[in-house]
Amino acid sequence: MPFQLPPIPTAEELKKKVIDSAIWRSIFRGGVWKDTPRDRAQHILGNVWLHLQPSRVRKNGLKWTYTFGLGGLSFFLFLILTVTGVLLMFYYRPSVDLAYRDMKDLEYAVSLGSFLRAMHRWSAHAMVLIVILHMVRVFLTGSYKSPREFNWVIGVILLVMTLLLSFTGYLLPWDQLALWAVTVGTNMAAASPGLGAEGPFAMLGRSNDVRFVLLGGTAVGANTLLRFYVLHCVFVPLVAGALMILHFWRVRKDTFSGPPITPQELPHDKVDTWPHLIVREYIAALGCMIFISLWSLLQKAPLEEMANPTVTPNPSKAPWYFTGLQELLVYFDPWIAGVVLPTLIMVGLMAIPYLDPDKTKGTGRYDFKERPLAMTYFLFGIGMWFSLIFIGSFLRGPNWDIYMPWESWLIHKPPPPHTWSLPLGWGLLVVGGYFIVGMVLPLLMGPQFEWKKALQKGLLVILGAAAVIKISAHMAWEQILWLVIFIYVYYILGVLVPRRHLVNQPKVRYAITMVLVLMMLGVLMKMGVRLGFHIKYVLTVPQFQLNI
Amino acid sequence: MAESAPQPAVANQDISRRSFLKLGWGALLGFFASSAGATLRFIFPNVLYEPPQTFKAGRPEDYSIGVSTRWLKEQRVWIIRTEEGIYAMWARCTHLGCTPNWFQAENRFRCPCHGSNYTTAGDVIAGPAPKPLYRCAIRVLASGDLLIDKSVLEDRPGLREKPQFFVKYTGNNSTPAPANA
Repeated sequence: MPFQLPPIPTAEELKKKVIDSAIWRSIFRGGVWKDTPRDRAQHILGNVWLHLQPSRVRKNGLKWTYTFGLGGLSFFLFLILTVTGVLLMFYYRPSVDLAYRDMKDLEYAVSLGSFLRAMHRWSAHAMVLIVILHMVRVFLTGSYKSPREFNWVIGVILLVMTLLLSFTGYLLPWDQLALWAVTVGTNMAAASPGLGAEGPFAMLGRSNDVRFVLLGGTAVGANTLLRFYVLHCVFVPLVAGALMILHFWRVRKDTFSGPPITPQELPHDKVDTWPHLIVREYIAALGCMIFISLWSLLQKAPLEEMANPTVTPNPSKAPWYFTGLQELLVYFDPWIAGVVLPTLIMVGLMAIPYLDPDKTKGTGRYDFKERPLAMTYFLFGIGMWFSLIFIGSFLRGPNWDIYMPWESWLIHKPPPPHTWSLPLGWGLLVVGGYFIVGMVLPLLMGPQFEWKKALQKGLLVILGAAAVIKISAHMAWEQILWLVIFIYVYYILGVLVPRRHLVNQPKVRYAITMVLVLMMLGVLMKMGVRLGFHIKYVLTVPQFQLNI
Repeated sequence: MAESAPQPAVANQDISRRSFLKLGWGALLGFFASSAGATLRFIFPNVLYEPPQTFKAGRPEDYSIGVSTRWLKEQRVWIIRTEEGIYAMWARCTHLGCTPNWFQAENRFRCPCHGSNYTTAGDVIAGPAPKPLYRCAIRVLASGDLLIDKSVLEDRPGLREKPQFFVKYTGNNSTPAPANA
């Protein structure tokens, strides 16, 4: 009998042989693959990475236009940042003499160094944006409602972690942006009440306060660079990673959000996670990867001049996600704008699920009409924050003067006019009155209330008052316009919306919500009186640095 | 079973279960608290390698009336001479620590970070800065040189004009003041 070669196996047979082999099956749990729903479930449950997903998901949650894949993309960008970050660490030394030189080496001497650095930087920018958009999406679909309240809270903390990662990261190149951003940031910390040397009720000095700990000294220097390096590469990623695990686990345990389940749809509306969800996740990640790679090929990461502790660039601008805060700092005492307001914003965001009066309404779909109160305030707040970012990024030039985007920064603007503050008595009256009247006004609106009529009446009254002011006092037309717009916005958002949607709520919820709303609107009002009337502080109590 | 045991069993013990647990938890809590305290202490450096805060800034007659930016790049200090004398101002915005720029034509310091404006005396006239600029301690050495100490600072009107922060100097007609270097 002649010797015969065994028949050459087809690719399909070969694949089966490999998958059924003892070695393969020892690596991947689940036994012989028969492509049954049970196998597909086992594929998810038996894999350490994929088991974060449930084995079956509801069809509604799979729609691109429902989640836009934003949560998954945030995590994917975190992975890109981890990989590129670890690679960059091979060439980077966190010392004042070497850091900037290593940056130049990465840019010009290391193969693909420039590309990897660009990818790291742009992925960081993208991550901040995507995390914010993810938060907006979760809000718009009401996905923070029971039982997911606490996961929303973790999400807000993760947003803070993302910002902290970005902030600690951009000190490392040791360029001008790095030095001055960290100078400003740590001085904000020094303005913290009690714990900062320059804040109100300071108990500590320049050489033992919270800024000293952050800097590892009294000024940004070698210790600071090393501290931020450790925070950026080890500490914050570990904390963020631990919180991400918690976040994903809660997503999994609280079930993916979607419209409330009706009994009819239950059996046939679920599909296997493998391949339906997993494939979509990979496609989103692939698209993101392509986009970030192309962007990084075309656009280098910015690198300013080497850090110089005596010369500040003019203007000195933060990256876009902090220009909102930078603009906010123009209008208040540093501890108010740099510590109190950011804390209130974060606490306010965390409080949303607990303050929202509609516990179930409008969950799982984009629906403004079902949740007018929550939607109005959240979208207004987000809009305000991005307006601040827009002003800081595009309308500010040298000496932090207002420059229109089409104006050249070479034109020297006349210096800003002298500012003035209200005397203490008037300040107390205005701020106290604002909050007290603001709290009770919606309650006094009376039972007869028609939205359109109230809008018109209010506008007429405000215009009438403006006319009286114009006649009796010296005020420019633009100041009158300024007054009308700001007071009308206050009337709508601070009086009419609460009257319509909030007055029937329990007293405590009404009070907390109103205080937060009035503070949000108050920030806008304060910006108005500064820009329109050059009022530095409406209320100033220098003893407590209470400068609002 | 333990509950029904006769009293002597308990009496034999030197320490009851309740107080043992109290001691245990107390010790554990104490351990964690002191660990946290030790870690906190650890992150405060004891020795700082920071540049010295004093420097010699030449002689009073080196300065003409006005704001001199001669020492800005090296020491972050403006030397300002008025009709009455000389003081040194730390070029650090009291808002959040950027270095303001001097604008001769407007007679103001203007900060590039958040737009604070100051007079030559250091008082805030626009922008968010809550306090006037700091003045540094200044004195004339026996050699005739000005010694400026950036670690001793004062911003309060009334105190900042005291001799510690202000050198009286009305000019010497025999040596005309050179222009700002």
